[in-house]
Amino acid sequence: MLKYLFANEEDIPQGSTALFFAFSSIAWFIIGTGLGSFNAAKLAFPDFYHNVYWLQFGHMRQVHVHAVIFGWIAMAFAASMMYITPTLGNTKLWSEKLGVWNCLLYNVGLCLALALLWSGMTSGREYSDHIWPIDLYIAFVMVVPWALNVWMTVLNRRTQGIYTTNWFFAACMFMTIIVFLIGNLPEFFHLTGLNEAYMTWWFAHNILGLLITPVAAAITYYIIPKITGNPLYSHRVGHLHFWSIVVFYSTPAAHHLMSSPLPEWLKSFASVEGVLILVPAIAYVSNILLTMQGKWSMFIENIEVKFTITGVFLAIPLNMQGGFQQTRAINWYIHGTGWIVAHAHLALLGFSTFAEAAAVYYGIQVLLRRKLYSSSLANFHFWMLLIGFSLYWVSMTIAGLIQGAAKIYEVPYIDVVIAEHPYMIVRWLGGTMVFLGNIVWMFNMYMTATAGDHVPEGRQPAEVAYTR
Amino acid sequence: MGWTFSHPLYSLTTEDQNKEAQYVWEHENLGGIAENNNPLPRPVIGLLLLTYITAMAITFPLYGQRPTAAIFADYVTLMNSAEVQKVLHDKKLSHEAADEKAMALIEKTLQHFDSPYNFQRQQHHITMNQLRMIAPKIVELQRSGADLEEYTIVGPTVAKANFFNIQPDGTVIAKQPWWDKGYTIAVWWFLVFCAAVIITVKRLPHFTWQPDHSIAH
Amino acid sequence: MAFREYKIGCMMFGVALSTSMFVTIFLPGLDISAIGSTEEALKKQLTYGWESGFNYYDPFLAGKDKPIKVTLTHDPVTGKKIDKVDAYVFKPGTHFPNGLTHENIMGKKVLALSNSRGHINQASEENGGVFLVDVDAASGTPYVEFATATKGWSVDATLKAADQQFLAGSGKTMFIREGCWWCHTLLPEETQDWQTFGRPPVTGDFNGESPTTFGSDRKAPDLLHVGSRNSSREWMTMHFFNPRLVQPHSIMPRYNYLWGKTDAKGNVIDRQKWDREFMAYNNGETAYPPEVPEPAPDSDARKLIDFVLNLK
Repeated sequence: MLKYLFANEEDIPQGSTALFFAFSSIAWFIIGTGLGSFNAAKLAFPDFYHNVYWLQFGHMRQVHVHAVIFGWIAMAFAASMMYITPTLGNTKLWSEKLGVWNCLLYNVGLCLALALLWSGMTSGREYSDHIWPIDLYIAFVMVVPWALNVWMTVLNRRTQGIYTTNWFFAACMFMTIIVFLIGNLPEFFHLTGLNEAYMTWWFAHNILGLLITPVAAAITYYIIPKITGNPLYSHRVGHLHFWSIVVFYSTPAAHHLMSSPLPEWLKSFASVEGVLILVPAIAYVSNILLTMQGKWSMFIENIEVKFTITGVFLAIPLNMQGGFQQTRAINWYIHGTGWIVAHAHLALLGFSTFAEAAAVYYGIQVLLRRKLYSSSLANFHFWMLLIGFSLYWVSMTIAGLIQGAAKIYEVPYIDVVIAEHPYMIVRWLGGTMVFLGNIVWMFNMYMTATAGDHVPEGRQPAEVAYTR
Repeated sequence: MGWTFSHPLYSLTTEDQNKEAQYVWEHENLGGIAENNNPLPRPVIGLLLLTYITAMAITFPLYGQRPTAAIFADYVTLMNSAEVQKVLHDKKLSHEAADEKAMALIEKTLQHFDSPYNFQRQQHHITMNQLRMIAPKIVELQRSGADLEEYTIVGPTVAKANFFNIQPDGTVIAKQPWWDKGYTIAVWWFLVFCAAVIITVKRLPHFTWQPDHSIAH
Repeated sequence: MAFREYKIGCMMFGVALSTSMFVTIFLPGLDISAIGSTEEALKKQLTYGWESGFNYYDPFLAGKDKPIKVTLTHDPVTGKKIDKVDAYVFKPGTHFPNGLTHENIMGKKVLALSNSRGHINQASEENGGVFLVDVDAASGTPYVEFATATKGWSVDATLKAADQQFLAGSGKTMFIREGCWWCHTLLPEETQDWQTFGRPPVTGDFNGESPTTFGSDRKAPDLLHVGSRNSSREWMTMHFFNPRLVQPHSIMPRYNYLWGKTDAKGNVIDRQKWDREFMAYNNGETAYPPEVPEPAPDSDARKLIDFVLNLK
């Protein structure tokens, strides 16, 4: 990677940026889920490694969150964008050199940001925990060059029209920058009080709603038609999805604070918009599933389709939960409980991780023109992820329902802790399975890069048979 | 890059294609927003309508998850009645037993009267000790002619909570009607969305998957 | 550069995103900013000072640049007995909370009263000073009183006359740095919570506080009113050193490292030895658990305990 930093643009092989981002993202996925598994162990067994200051739960919890969001999810997005955007535009990436620098500075910045968080230097705001100098670094050094590459590639495309995926990519990068700069205003300008609390959640909601969910969906808009060979069921339904994301997903930030003394009208508004998040969800899920017509056998046979469609299936409970759990009628019961933790993992570890993993699997094969090293290891990875995630999700949902019941029946809190203990252990087991699965994945991808069979020019990796 | 600001952008779509798109846009009546003005599949339309109706129905702004002073007003009246006071001062019973018996008596009496608060009473059980703490405050509020529904029982205190935009100094900026500001904005938000998305999606330029090699970059 | 054909789309996108931000940021911002401070908000501001998260004056979150909350039963100037009162001491150079330095934080009425009767306009960060929170009996409006101007209470005299000093402002920094708020919320919910965790806050309770650290993922009891439920410093000390001492089923981490190297008497704390003795107690080999060292007056543990006890 380093040798390309000062190379001429023409000398850098196409796809280098995407590859570097892809391998970085897998590495961060291992780190992030490892931290998650460690944290979960601490919740199950509080005296696990207790005398080491650096391994305190309160210092590590946010490092897990940011390693996974900014390391795995965002970098897998970057990897996908760096090869999907040019492909769909029938052109080259605008600047591989900028991309390589972007990837390097992204990794360096993320290490720095996580080290500072780990040491306790935090703004004290959930999801925008980073201190404001780091926020500025993330916005201008990590995200703006990435966005620039995407935008310029879209502008320099050689196709008529812009395919839904690129429409999403370009707009989501724009919205991410806006959300980052507006959402961190409380830190830049020292806003205080309820304004600060609300802006914190405005940021948290929109970084999930305007970056993670739509980009993950956009990736599946590419992967499914590309691998199955079916054209997307409807480009225009894709646009309905896009517009309803912009209009309905950017508004319900206040539903994260339904039990705080925010103005009641704001909660009402957020609540209605929160349910209307189902509009993009329905448009999206039906579009993808209708695209699969006649190709459902690939859901079994093809690892990328298997990952993607599993992600799309997980988007159904995700959006059903997300739409309804924020209404006053349900939120009072489950707010602040493990249910929400389960929901957050359904969004990030369920839906979007499965979609991105497919894009990374596919990207590495296409860019290196090498067939995946082992389908057995890939299937092992798939099942470790799916079973690990399911254990996590089910156990935390149950724990959340226990907590909710205890909340309304005024059970002494320590009894909740005791009742939750078995589910905390299951959560740890689930998280550990995901972590172990990812190590296998890294091995599989490394072997693909070094020992995978060559895919002939003009052929899809899916058209080449596995040899092992 | 060659980006000049007087003519910043050019189109890959030909004039014919634009005309065709415009023709389709202008010569349809109530067509759908899918390709070639085909409507969406009916099940999808059904789901979307269901979503909208559900969103409106489930978020209908009904407040009342917290107990208001009003639902306990009758408890207080009954507590101060002679029969209940007799039970409470019964020397033969222990303190706890007297409380329980008195509360059972109150609840039994209340069952004979129809009240709009029946459901809320089931939701918010109250013990005699709690009732004793809030009773004088409720009586005082009743004397001052306050609307008990605006007051919320918060532990031992009877406070005006913030469900109706009540300011710290006690002034009510807006006692919310059944529709509130946020709900109204939401209705308009959805209508404008529908209009805007139909215009935007239908005005999309010509799209084809075929690559265009007419312009070299 | 083929974006012209998407002109309508781009315009609609701009309109949608800016309307969305107008409705969800600007409009609520107006409503929230129009709310005057409650007494609670004034107390919080004066206790926690300027900013408790990362900031220029305390980049490593060591609890610097914070006021000290004291309780007084004697007038610092005359020495006469007075009703017990909480005073907030800002040593010279300590930064004031936003409410004292910005006109739009406290609310119009509160600010007017704080200026006319509390003389807060005479206070300056260079000289520091002592503040009180009062409530106007007639209107019920709370206001801040600059006691250095109105009563002549100086910083040194007030600290000297204090019965008790709470480092609650520095403690909030610890609360944030150590991630206590990942499990303990500071927001009893408006629905059922108040019966267990106390009165939920009202809109004016947060003016000038930053960050508010509501917390979202409650794995432990809400702490907004914990000082009212449990005011025992001994219990808190044991609980922070090893929660399993007072609550065998607790899953809270140990915060024994906040004690630093030495305890209040200057003895070196041997955590390994303490651990061994605790394990012996845990296994039933000894009847009593080992003594928990008393935290040094400037230790992080003391600050955090002060913060928690101050959450009334």
